[in-house]
Amino acid sequence: MWEGMVHGMLTGINATLVPINICMVLFGCFSGSLIGMLPGLGPITAVALMIPVTYGFDPTTGMVLLAGVYYGAIFGGSTSSILINAPGEAATVATALDGYPLARQGYPGKALAIAAYASFSGGTIAVVLLMFFAPMLASVATSFQSADYFALMILGLTAVSAFAGRGGVLKALLMVVLGLMLSTVGTDQTSGVQRYTFGSLELLDGIEFLLLAMATFALTEALMIVLKKDASSDSLNPKMIGFKSLKVSAKEFKLITPSILRSSLLGFFVGVLPGAGATLGSFMSYGMERNLAPPEEQARFGKGSLRGLAAPETGNNAASSGSFVPLLTLGIPGSGTTAVMLGALIAYGIDPGPRMFVEQPEVFWGVIMSMYLGNVFLLILNLPLIPYFARLLAIPRNLMVPIILFFSLMGVYLVTFNDFDIMMMVFFCLGAMALRLMNFPMAPLLLGFILGGLMEDNLRRSLMIYDESMSFMWERPITVSINCLTLLVLGMPLFRSVLAKLKSKKNPNALLK
Amino acid sequence: MAREKVGALLMLLFSMGYGMLATKIPLTFLAMQETFTSRTMPYGLSAMGAVLSLAILILPTVDPAGKKTLKEETGGMDWLKGILLVVSMLIFGLTMKWLGFILASIVFLLIGFRILGERRLWLMIVTAVPLVFFLWAIMSVLLGVFIAPGEIFYQLGIL
Repeated sequence: MWEGMVHGMLTGINATLVPINICMVLFGCFSGSLIGMLPGLGPITAVALMIPVTYGFDPTTGMVLLAGVYYGAIFGGSTSSILINAPGEAATVATALDGYPLARQGYPGKALAIAAYASFSGGTIAVVLLMFFAPMLASVATSFQSADYFALMILGLTAVSAFAGRGGVLKALLMVVLGLMLSTVGTDQTSGVQRYTFGSLELLDGIEFLLLAMATFALTEALMIVLKKDASSDSLNPKMIGFKSLKVSAKEFKLITPSILRSSLLGFFVGVLPGAGATLGSFMSYGMERNLAPPEEQARFGKGSLRGLAAPETGNNAASSGSFVPLLTLGIPGSGTTAVMLGALIAYGIDPGPRMFVEQPEVFWGVIMSMYLGNVFLLILNLPLIPYFARLLAIPRNLMVPIILFFSLMGVYLVTFNDFDIMMMVFFCLGAMALRLMNFPMAPLLLGFILGGLMEDNLRRSLMIYDESMSFMWERPITVSINCLTLLVLGMPLFRSVLAKLKSKKNPNALLK
Repeated sequence: MAREKVGALLMLLFSMGYGMLATKIPLTFLAMQETFTSRTMPYGLSAMGAVLSLAILILPTVDPAGKKTLKEETGGMDWLKGILLVVSMLIFGLTMKWLGFILASIVFLLIGFRILGERRLWLMIVTAVPLVFFLWAIMSVLLGVFIAPGEIFYQLGIL
């Protein structure tokens, strides 16, 4: 096994260190970051747009370029999430939760630098795991059935407790339900029946994630800045945004390192599962970190916590690398972006599947080894550019707000070219503003919306397989394990509060402290 | 009434409306015999929404920011600017096909800057025009995405 892997790695190094491939990794990372930074253009669009460019190349070069575009776009998406609270991609929603508050507090450079380090670490650790575990994990991933996926979705939804502040669990759960309700709009994929479309052709395909994310985050935030007339939301002093602002202290590194390591592992393993992808990876990493954090650090989550920023950023990059496992080993796309890449592989004349590992080792190992290079390039490319990106926040508010509104509206319009979407965005923005004013969190709504369709499909399929019995929830060991994990996550806050009460009984002065 | 309670009341009404509309989802004869139909998930969600809303309404409010009412929360807000921006976004959406991407975007940005109090016309133009052309160039020239010109150009015989 080891001999084969070393041989494969050498093949990969040989394939990657060809000048054209090095240039393609560099070009892919740069163009991916640039495209991903534009609100609305996520990795799927970025990869799809680059496919025609790769047609003249050999398969390894083409795949190396597309992989670079993929993780470049994920990283670029984080930049717009942190700076203007516009997550153009589901995987970067959780990054905005702490990244944006940190940027608004006057640390945009630090937030972007931590995102860069976390992305680099998550990506690199995941590539090491990919190299060692890819063939083995592929078989585990295929053993997942609908029941396991349904249980996994429930586990994903438990991350909602991470977004609930004190006394906010019920509100967060209600927002998850609202997100799930919105996900039912459109044509039911199984029966072909229209639900909540009100006869509108535009609603037949349901509500676009991008539209909802832009409306509930970017548009709402921009309008809230205007409504609140808040002095703290005025532009930052440009002097604050220099190379010095990138500095992350040793103490801060010490704080985020365990989060990065944990999130890399979790993100990678979630990413391996087809359908779960970077979004679930980032949300679950965020939820895990908040649950593991001590109470004083927990209170900082959602208000600019460094751990809250590093965890989802690591998780989404690790999951992006993880999603290559089913693609490269089985020919099964683990996410929308890898589905586009699968199309590219077929266009190159490669038969994706278990035989690719044997028949096209240079493509398989070339892509894996190029990821190391890509992660280094991303860091080198982006760190020096951070002060320039961060300068966006120095633009005066009266110019910045309309620009954010414009980019958010355009981000959706330039994907669908449908003016109805602009109207719908404004409608959702007004609804989200009302909910925010009534102190309801928005992130659980998006989480529910993202997982809603998958949850319904897997529940329906499980019920069909198990003859309409709910026994699928406890019949398979994998399902039971995931359900136990869900109970553990849900029970942890309760366990902690009981523990704290017991401690305070033993030592009454502890509470006063 | 605390702002959470107002939200919960609205969500209760929304959940009930959502559940009522679920009864209107068409089902074929065969689908009616199944346990899990297109209506099952909406029914479940409607019930969950109603239960959670009622729980928020009944249970005491825990708000770290204090039990604020909606009036207290929204007091002193700059509603005029907010409403004007929302209206400008709607007009932007309505005129997009007619004026085309470039013209509609420039007009939207200029109006937005003006609403927020910017008076320097040169700064507004210097910001809006290059920004719109930059985005247009990325999409059209670099990425090869076709952005249709506005209807007005065809009507005027320019194109």
